[in-house]
Amino acid sequence: MASKALPGKNVHHNDRKSRPKPAAIGWLFSLPYFVFALVFFLIPLGWVFYLSVLKWNTISPVRVFIGFNNFTDAIKSVEIKAAFVNTFIFMLIIVPFVMIFSLLIAIIINKLPAKLKGIFSVGFFLPYLSSGVATSLVAIGVFSYFSPFNIFLRSIGKTVDWFNTGWSAFIIICMLIIWKMYGYYMLLFLSSLESIGSDIHDACKIDGAQGFTKLRKVILPGIYPALMTVTILACGLAFSIFTEPYKLTNGGPGNATQTWQLIIYNESFVNLRSGYGAAIALISAVLTFAVLLFVKKLVEKWGAVNGWN
Amino acid sequence: MAGTKKRILFITMATVLLLFFIFPYVYMVLQSLAPWDQVDKKLFPTILTLRSYVFLKTGGGQASVPWIGSFFNSMIVSFGSTFLQLATAALLAYAISIIKFRGAKFFENFILFQMFFPTIIFILPNFIIIKSLHISNNYLGMILPLSISAWAAFIYENYFKGLPNEILEAAKIDGANEIRIARSIVLPMSKSITTILFLFLFMGRWNELMWDMIAVTDVKLKTLNVLLSSMFGPYGGYPGPLYAASVILSVPLIVLFIIFSKNFKEGMNFVLK
Repeated sequence: MASKALPGKNVHHNDRKSRPKPAAIGWLFSLPYFVFALVFFLIPLGWVFYLSVLKWNTISPVRVFIGFNNFTDAIKSVEIKAAFVNTFIFMLIIVPFVMIFSLLIAIIINKLPAKLKGIFSVGFFLPYLSSGVATSLVAIGVFSYFSPFNIFLRSIGKTVDWFNTGWSAFIIICMLIIWKMYGYYMLLFLSSLESIGSDIHDACKIDGAQGFTKLRKVILPGIYPALMTVTILACGLAFSIFTEPYKLTNGGPGNATQTWQLIIYNESFVNLRSGYGAAIALISAVLTFAVLLFVKKLVEKWGAVNGWN
Repeated sequence: MAGTKKRILFITMATVLLLFFIFPYVYMVLQSLAPWDQVDKKLFPTILTLRSYVFLKTGGGQASVPWIGSFFNSMIVSFGSTFLQLATAALLAYAISIIKFRGAKFFENFILFQMFFPTIIFILPNFIIIKSLHISNNYLGMILPLSISAWAAFIYENYFKGLPNEILEAAKIDGANEIRIARSIVLPMSKSITTILFLFLFMGRWNELMWDMIAVTDVKLKTLNVLLSSMFGPYGGYPGPLYAASVILSVPLIVLFIIFSKNFKEGMNFVLK
């Protein structure tokens, strides 16, 4: 493509001798990005593979080559098994709920008068701006022993030690993530709902296509691309959970809220097992890629069966 | 009439839902203003006080904690990274989409290749790299490794491809050089997309935890997010100041978004496609 476009351009530029060739400027403009990418992307990419076959504590000059031991250790580890399973449970809870909230709010905003749409979409978007550290603080406060919420629960005879109980800690983390992320997905749905113009809605009215028929034949095909993007992004989320369990549970109680990123952080920077951390990072990257690819195929198939894509 | 009724119904629904979803922010603000014996114990404090904020301002605790400094650290790091992310991405995208030079295809694929990799795998090697460059425990150590964004380059690339070719060609025929075209035609036309990218990149950088925690150990250089995170333990018994710090952490982003909310929807519609 580029090479085809070039000859014509060169002829055009050659009649101005004073001007540098576009190729030179092209390289010059690409240079800053590429230099950063070289130092902080390509070299680290090589490093992470090299590290993954080493036993090294990041500081000592001694680096021992141990082959694939880090990988086999990782697969045998109880923590990793927990993170592996948790990732899928996170997905099962987060994906449907975040989808319901974002789609529901998008539908409501879409029905608002044009003047209010902007204000409400910014308002509903605000949680996306929150820091996981600040929301974790709120969660600790709301679920603390003397909080109004827990006092109320005790008054009806229920006591839950929220962060030291596996299921409740897990659900709180899910809630925080759903709350933070729905705003972004809402915008995706909103922009695709808006692309179904008023003329299409009018046509539906004339043809008498309403209710379920309209949903299946007009609305769902219209939002299908957004639905696919949101599904993939939300599934990807499950692999990148860090701040909330780091602040709330550190993976506990008993690995109930263990996540990939938490293990990678703890192994690499707390236990100083660089090689092991790098190996786990690689495993998680490959797994993320495989799962997201599978999810994408699945959603595509679902769309194809219904004739939406 | 039915239309008005329906409209009122939707406005009410949206308002109720919004109040519900905004609750954590409201809680944060109320607790930051509560007397210390009421924090987390009363949903609505009986009286309001600025004690938590004053506590932060006066250095917080016996060993002085640099809360104010950490706010400026966050500003320096976030503006520094975001500026570099935008500048490198815009230049690269300009080269790919408008100059269409010989390496364009390579860089186009390079961006896509980069987007395949989750950032988590680079944390450890980048830590080793900033150590060997002697920029760990330094602003540069926080800024430089997070100063390119494949996502921003990708968005710019597609945006520039959609710019009307006639204007650019006309400028070239008039003898304008690339730098002039970039500055006086492409840059002004990309205002709304740049605003959106700036907001998202700035937000991501402002709320970054793991990297800033690793890159810097000196308490004077910590960002507000990292400092807040590290004070959960020491301030556990009296969390009022933690809420105040959370409010200070959240306000700049909310203000930025409200200032730019006018361009928000139009720019978003492009980014989301």
